[in-house]
Amino acid sequence: MRKVTLLPISVPALVILMARLASADPLSELSSFSVFDKVDLAQLASGEPKTAHGPPLNNPRYLSVQSCYVVPGAPAQHLEALRRWNPAAHRELKVILHNDIAGSPSEAAFVRIKNAPETPPVRAFVEATVKMANDLQLSRDEAAKWKGGDNKLSGAVGDFWMGVLAGRARAFASGGTSALAPYDHAGNSIRAGDELNGLLREQPKIRKQFAGLLDSTGIGRGGGSARPELYSEMINTDDIAAAALGAFYGRNSGVTAQAADTLYYSSGGVYAALTLYQMWPVDVNGRASTLVWRGDMVSSAALSGLRGVEKLASESAMMKDVAKSITVFRRDTAR
Amino acid sequence: MPAIFGRWIAFVICLVAIPGLFASDIWTGEYSFNETYVGNATVSHGQKRVVDFDESDTEIRFVLTPRIPLGVLRLGVEYEQFSFGFEGSALLPNTLQSVAAVIGLDTQIKNSILLRVEAMPGVYSEAFRTGSNDFNMPFVIGGTYIVNPDLQIAIGIGVDIDRKYPVLPGGGIRWKFQPHWVLNAILPQPRLEYEVSKTVTLYVGANLKETNFRVSDTFGTDHGKPQLNHAVLTYSEVRTGTGLDWKINNWLSVNAEAGYQPYRTFDFYRANFEFDQDSSAPYGMISFHGVF
Repeated sequence: MRKVTLLPISVPALVILMARLASADPLSELSSFSVFDKVDLAQLASGEPKTAHGPPLNNPRYLSVQSCYVVPGAPAQHLEALRRWNPAAHRELKVILHNDIAGSPSEAAFVRIKNAPETPPVRAFVEATVKMANDLQLSRDEAAKWKGGDNKLSGAVGDFWMGVLAGRARAFASGGTSALAPYDHAGNSIRAGDELNGLLREQPKIRKQFAGLLDSTGIGRGGGSARPELYSEMINTDDIAAAALGAFYGRNSGVTAQAADTLYYSSGGVYAALTLYQMWPVDVNGRASTLVWRGDMVSSAALSGLRGVEKLASESAMMKDVAKSITVFRRDTAR
Repeated sequence: MPAIFGRWIAFVICLVAIPGLFASDIWTGEYSFNETYVGNATVSHGQKRVVDFDESDTEIRFVLTPRIPLGVLRLGVEYEQFSFGFEGSALLPNTLQSVAAVIGLDTQIKNSILLRVEAMPGVYSEAFRTGSNDFNMPFVIGGTYIVNPDLQIAIGIGVDIDRKYPVLPGGGIRWKFQPHWVLNAILPQPRLEYEVSKTVTLYVGANLKETNFRVSDTFGTDHGKPQLNHAVLTYSEVRTGTGLDWKINNWLSVNAEAGYQPYRTFDFYRANFEFDQDSSAPYGMISFHGVF
């Protein structure tokens, strides 16, 4: 029997080497599923994030933007930073409140909505609730629970939304987006899960790249094996605040990492949104860094009436927002 | 059958056909049909006066906006006809017509800058005649800087070799300065808009129009002024008014507007012969437009 001679190399070094080989060419992998054919790592590490239009999507409600950037440190560190980041600290990102939900999503977990600052967008949100406006994205059953009251966010309005958010968060935690009631209180029935599936169906390369992660989540399907980290937000959408729910999933292979961040419910503005992250370890000027691809995709009724240059302008605005968000995130995590 | 009814029928057929023909999201585009009527007015050149004539302005525009890797193509056709109620002896043409292709591209050159290049090659003449070769190709090049979703700044130039000043600057700003309020001050149609609801917008504003047309080879001779044969006529007018835009659905919006026309000239500038406004009149406009 032939004797296999092992190279004089330590086990940890071998693990690292194998890991490097497994992700031997992040740039090739990046170009295989994204719109970025060529990127300059050194330039990305020292400059602004690179953003681009996603592939054209047939459904007029959909919009997609892709970006890539480099941050110092390993993918696992970046994944952890994404997990911990609170965008509400930055007013320009239009996140009014951000609240991580630990444990079972009871109504008490959403009590902070009652303390939202009384800005014009929040007042518009309260007015819309009091009138049970057609623009509110609710199911018929949810809308029927509005019985009026003191018309204050700190009172009846806040109680109503705490009930809606808790119900939706519980449904998602137990059965993914498939368990969510449709938005049908004032017209066409729209399901967040269908929108998320539609966004991914129109971007098959991305769907394939993230299949391993997505198939274990509740995104566009029933509850998966992966445990979501749930959160709620109040966001500013076109001069009216919206109460929203999100879920973050991360997967660290030991070398590369992936994450999926979905807004699976919003009371207005967007039907659903999904941000995907692919992270690879790279060496930039001798410094261990992470190359990050980020894909932002959104479904919104407001987009359905836009064509031509208006759609192009919306994409440009979204690209600016994404670039701004990445810049702020990098600044925060560099501290 | 009066010409205007022919145009209306063509428009109605177009309106019925569009949703069926272009239900696919690949064939996106936009269309508009505008009809404006201006009441009796007078223009003069020295002692020469053309009195009590009315005006009908019909515009039909149909543009496909397919997405390509470089941006958004703009391919279509535009037709415009000014019909004036002049007396036979007037030294002005009763009809000015243009039919032109629309060939353009909207593209993004930076995260925040959109660029439009659009040419409109076609025939710009007095009433169309057999073998008319009054070809012209005005074009525009403009950029929009997207400061944020509420504020955009536009700047550009319009080029028309038949114009007295072939290159003219343009632009303006679009600024949503309050919820529901938009200052859409971009030439040639600056407006202050109030969004009553997601489907209804009220506005006050202006429309600055200027197009160059060639009159016929014998127009001058026929009217006792031979130097006007095959001359370039620049027709300019300004409308100021208030209007309402009602978005019924994505592919159909109705726009009604009324106001006053404070300025109008007919300028054969190369022959140094111009009719300026003496008195003007109110106008009414109805428009159907949408995207598909």
